[in-house]
Amino acid sequence: MSHLLALTMAAPALAAVVLLAIPGTSRTALRVVSLIGAVISLAGSIWVATLYDRALGGLQLLDTVPLVPSLGIHLKLAVDGWGVALLLLTGVIIVTGVLASWSVAKRDKEFFLLLLVLVSGVYGVFISQDLFIFFLFYEIAVLPMYLLIGIWGSSHKVPSAGPFGFTWKRFEVGSREYAAMKLTLMLLVGSAAILVAMFLLWSNSGARTFDMQVLEATKFPIAVQHVVFPLVWLGFGTLAGVFPFHTWSPDGHASAPTAVSMLHAGVLMKLGAFGVLRIGMVLVPDAAAWWAPIVGAVAVVNVLYGALCAASQKDLKYIVAYSSVSHMGVVMLGIATMNAAGWNGAVYQMVAHGIMTGLFFALVGLVYERAHTRTIAKMGGFAHVMPVVAGFFTLACLSSLGLPGTAGFVAEFMVFAGAAKGASPWWAIPGVLGAFVTAVYVLRACKTIFWGPAPVDEFAHLQDVQRTEWAAPLVLGSLLVVFGFWPKLLLDFIDAASQGYLGRLPIVALAQAVTP
Amino acid sequence: MTLMNCILLASALMAIGVYGLATRKQAVAMLLSVELMANSANILFASFAHFRGGPTGQVFVLFALAITVAEVAVGLALVMLLYRRHGDTALDLASEARQ
Amino acid sequence: MSPVTLAIVATVAPAVAALLLLVLSPLRHRGAPAAWVTLLGSLVSLGAAVMLLVARLGGAPDARATIPWIEERGRAMAEIGILIDGVSLPMLIIVCLVALCVQVFSIAYMHDEPPRAFGRYFTLHALFLFSMNVVVVSPNLLQLFAGWELVGLTSYLLIGFYFAKPAAAQAAVKAFWMTKLADMGFLFGLLVLYVSTGGFEWTSAPSATVATWVTGLLFLAVVGKSAQFPLHIWLPDAMEGPTPVSALLHAATMVAAGVFLVVRADPLFALAPGTREVMLWVGSITAVFAALLALVQHDIKKVLAFSTCSQLGYMVAALGAGQAFAGFFHLGTHAFFKALLFLAAGSVIHAVHSNSLDDMGGLRKKLPLTTAAFVIGSLSLAGVPGFAGFFSKDLVLTSLEGKASWIPWAMLLGAAFLTAFYMGRLLIKAFWGELSERSSHAHEGNVAMTGPLVVLAIPSLASGFLGGWLATQSSAQYELHLGLTPVLASVMSLAGLGAAILVFRKGGQAPFTHVLEKLDTFSVVDRTWAGAYRIGLLGVASLAGWIDRYLIDGLINFTGWSALEGGSSARRLQTGLVRDYALLVTVGVLVLVLIGVLR
Repeated sequence: MSHLLALTMAAPALAAVVLLAIPGTSRTALRVVSLIGAVISLAGSIWVATLYDRALGGLQLLDTVPLVPSLGIHLKLAVDGWGVALLLLTGVIIVTGVLASWSVAKRDKEFFLLLLVLVSGVYGVFISQDLFIFFLFYEIAVLPMYLLIGIWGSSHKVPSAGPFGFTWKRFEVGSREYAAMKLTLMLLVGSAAILVAMFLLWSNSGARTFDMQVLEATKFPIAVQHVVFPLVWLGFGTLAGVFPFHTWSPDGHASAPTAVSMLHAGVLMKLGAFGVLRIGMVLVPDAAAWWAPIVGAVAVVNVLYGALCAASQKDLKYIVAYSSVSHMGVVMLGIATMNAAGWNGAVYQMVAHGIMTGLFFALVGLVYERAHTRTIAKMGGFAHVMPVVAGFFTLACLSSLGLPGTAGFVAEFMVFAGAAKGASPWWAIPGVLGAFVTAVYVLRACKTIFWGPAPVDEFAHLQDVQRTEWAAPLVLGSLLVVFGFWPKLLLDFIDAASQGYLGRLPIVALAQAVTP
Repeated sequence: MTLMNCILLASALMAIGVYGLATRKQAVAMLLSVELMANSANILFASFAHFRGGPTGQVFVLFALAITVAEVAVGLALVMLLYRRHGDTALDLASEARQ
Repeated sequence: MSPVTLAIVATVAPAVAALLLLVLSPLRHRGAPAAWVTLLGSLVSLGAAVMLLVARLGGAPDARATIPWIEERGRAMAEIGILIDGVSLPMLIIVCLVALCVQVFSIAYMHDEPPRAFGRYFTLHALFLFSMNVVVVSPNLLQLFAGWELVGLTSYLLIGFYFAKPAAAQAAVKAFWMTKLADMGFLFGLLVLYVSTGGFEWTSAPSATVATWVTGLLFLAVVGKSAQFPLHIWLPDAMEGPTPVSALLHAATMVAAGVFLVVRADPLFALAPGTREVMLWVGSITAVFAALLALVQHDIKKVLAFSTCSQLGYMVAALGAGQAFAGFFHLGTHAFFKALLFLAAGSVIHAVHSNSLDDMGGLRKKLPLTTAAFVIGSLSLAGVPGFAGFFSKDLVLTSLEGKASWIPWAMLLGAAFLTAFYMGRLLIKAFWGELSERSSHAHEGNVAMTGPLVVLAIPSLASGFLGGWLATQSSAQYELHLGLTPVLASVMSLAGLGAAILVFRKGGQAPFTHVLEKLDTFSVVDRTWAGAYRIGLLGVASLAGWIDRYLIDGLINFTGWSALEGGSSARRLQTGLVRDYALLVTVGVLVLVLIGVLR
């Protein structure tokens, strides 16, 4: 199969094309076609993983089609170890996401269509080895979100206050249109930065090419690197929720419908972190090494500040959304360490957090769909009526706070170990503190929602998990535990890539020599 | 008939067109003014082609005429829409875009 | 089977049981089958542990096997595995034996629970035993930490077993938070150790400074897990869990994990005299403080809970004195007699349907077997000569001789008196005196309830005589010698019992009861932590939330607002009148023409 990667990437988009031909009234057909597209892409990802030679490492399953040769643009697909891990994550999340949105009623055809197109974009980013195509897929992944939140989202009120309270006259803060617009605009500003960085790389590459392998081999002038790295960091970082450009995330994730939150927090935020790692750290390593202390310092702010913000929220979806900000901080912290443990931990955390937050949003969606409220103070005793939801929610909480035996622990532990071993060991302190604050807010939410006396009145007859709703908790929940006990499954892929990229960086070899 | 006369005629037509466009409120009248201006340009093309020789100017006139016809069709369609919407063809009414 | 295989079986058997119950939900939901699966798992564990013991008595050496867990460039960054030696094997047997007894007892005690809850209960028990075994057999500190956190999780879930009760829910969360707070110390300790030695072995010998840091940080976790002052406050609250859970987790095994950690990491602690000094004082203070509070409790379980704190203080003090074996020995005997006491208390609670000592009285006549068990446990705890507790407590006190100008030694002797005194109070209030109304309907439970009491009573009586053997296993020196300390300790325990009889026989009160009750109800430590939580955490969190919503996001909104406002201002230029635009176009053309002409 020489076109396996292309097939994996295109399967959801092809399913979307098929959707166009299906009348909107045949609702089951719509869903089944979407599911088939998602499952094919997941199967493709798994196949890619089995074909990938971990001992060999590097880029594999190369597949090139020239697009605009005069500008050096090729559709060049190949996968490295990081890509394999993230492909698997994407496949799992989209399959469970489609199943979790089985009950979408409004304009369901368009909903699934956009969802599938978006996922094709995500796959594309993880496998493209040409900067131009990378960016193209990135935009395909990011833009449908505007419609998905603006049309299918939910709104709520945020009271106006503070020195900028007057701006409330202009926007309905908290409404889904506001959330969608803010998300899109902030991410587009980020994209603009990336575009500039991209063309800087292109014009300074000598060969006038977007081919990332060529760019990797190019030693860019340090002045160029110093312009490119911050652009890449903040451009992609906006999507990764880097402080202070994270504020699209809480509103966006809180307003988005279930599957969209799952995909966005679970996979899309990883595109940002992946971009920083793959473009920033690998293509312009010298500037990256210079900027790493700043990246790391901002990342620890993310971890602790995100956790504290989450602890102050009263709306369940906001809690989960802020926890994403906090956990993406762990990813960025791992990236900033610039050593193997940190990078492995960062990518592992991308997967762990993707699964965990996917599970969270799936469950929160279930609760919201039934209870019609997201205010945790109004809930209580739900474990009596929905024990399965309660059980899996607890599991997600545990992974979130980094309990050993869940994927979250392996990831956080590697990141903290990497940080402690790296140039700024003090990063580990706020990192670990953030994990403690996480324990406080997730367990408090868990207690308020699920524990306590059996609910009465309106909540007495809430249903537990039904039919297709089982997919997300079951699959994501067991993966959390499997990856928690058996990290080797993923780590071999991730480590192969990390070692490969680290081996090229003179600066990193130095950093490792310092530690015993 | 000299080239100068033709240029003067074209200039006069252009001036009348500009004056009409700026002062008239009715869409049809404004459309007519635009036509005057277009035709002043056509006259210039034709006269230069006649006095200086060469086919280019005449080709341009024919081309411009064809486009003007299409343009007038679109313009009249807009006028019709305007009339249906407001019961009048005063163009000042069509300033919703400002709100 | 090889020792390694046996050890793996012992560790994994409960995990298999738990996994079966988690995956096959019908099995769990029907209740009784879950109990059998869990019991089978524990039995296999115990059997494997006993076989290991037999092999060891036959001269088998220590067994150690590890596999890489987290790999980096083909090299293990972290390993997991098993280690069976003179410390882990006795601990494994203690844990499995007590767990089995408690599980059997639970079948009777939890009988009235609905099947689903019953199944959940036993699933958690299986999970707990697995986690605890992970701690016990761990060959390095990282795996110990993993197991440590997992037992914390099962503790959280079991304390919150009656999750419908708000108090239980609160207690569960509190227990988790307090221990998690302390566990940050463990994680930091691991990181320091990793950075300085490249691994997680307690045998690695870092410099004295590093050792002090590592052990100091590890000790923080011990303070949390083993409920030492000032992090002890979660343990009394944890009594909201079912009584057998209190017996197993919050008396015999899980809370002792802290002590176990120090015993394991003894080579590291030996390099850090500073840490030991702190431990000595923390342990002594906890022992006395908790014993005082035990004196004024009216809930039978809370008396025992404070007693557990106090006894853990003994162990920690012994560890601080550098006598790891003394602490470990006391851990062992304490596991038996405290589990016995809790199970007997469970039997009492089951009979009178109340936790309150005021509802009890005269139970001696109705519950003879339970009374006998309770008396044995109490005498052992009080350290009456001949009982198991005497030997280990004596060893602890002996190890403290001469340390820190004899002050900790004196404190613990005083605590020994208090221990006997409050246990005497408990015995008299619950089992002697007039039959209370509730007590008059009491009767013994079935054999599932009494059997474990009998089984645990034996080691509570006799395990003290195993000290010599245990010492040789962990290559420590131990012999019982008659000296000042054992005599004084015996005198103290007997005096405490005597004083209790004198004071409480007539329904009297202990001296200073009022002061102590004030201390108990006002609970400064509790309030301090609650205040720290509200102000230090929730307060800061609210501030962060406000800043994020109204300052940082406000700035973003302001950016958008500026763009919109700017646009509005610029829009004034647009009149919307076609004539104006036409004029502007014309003027524009003219200007361009003029520029062209003039140039």
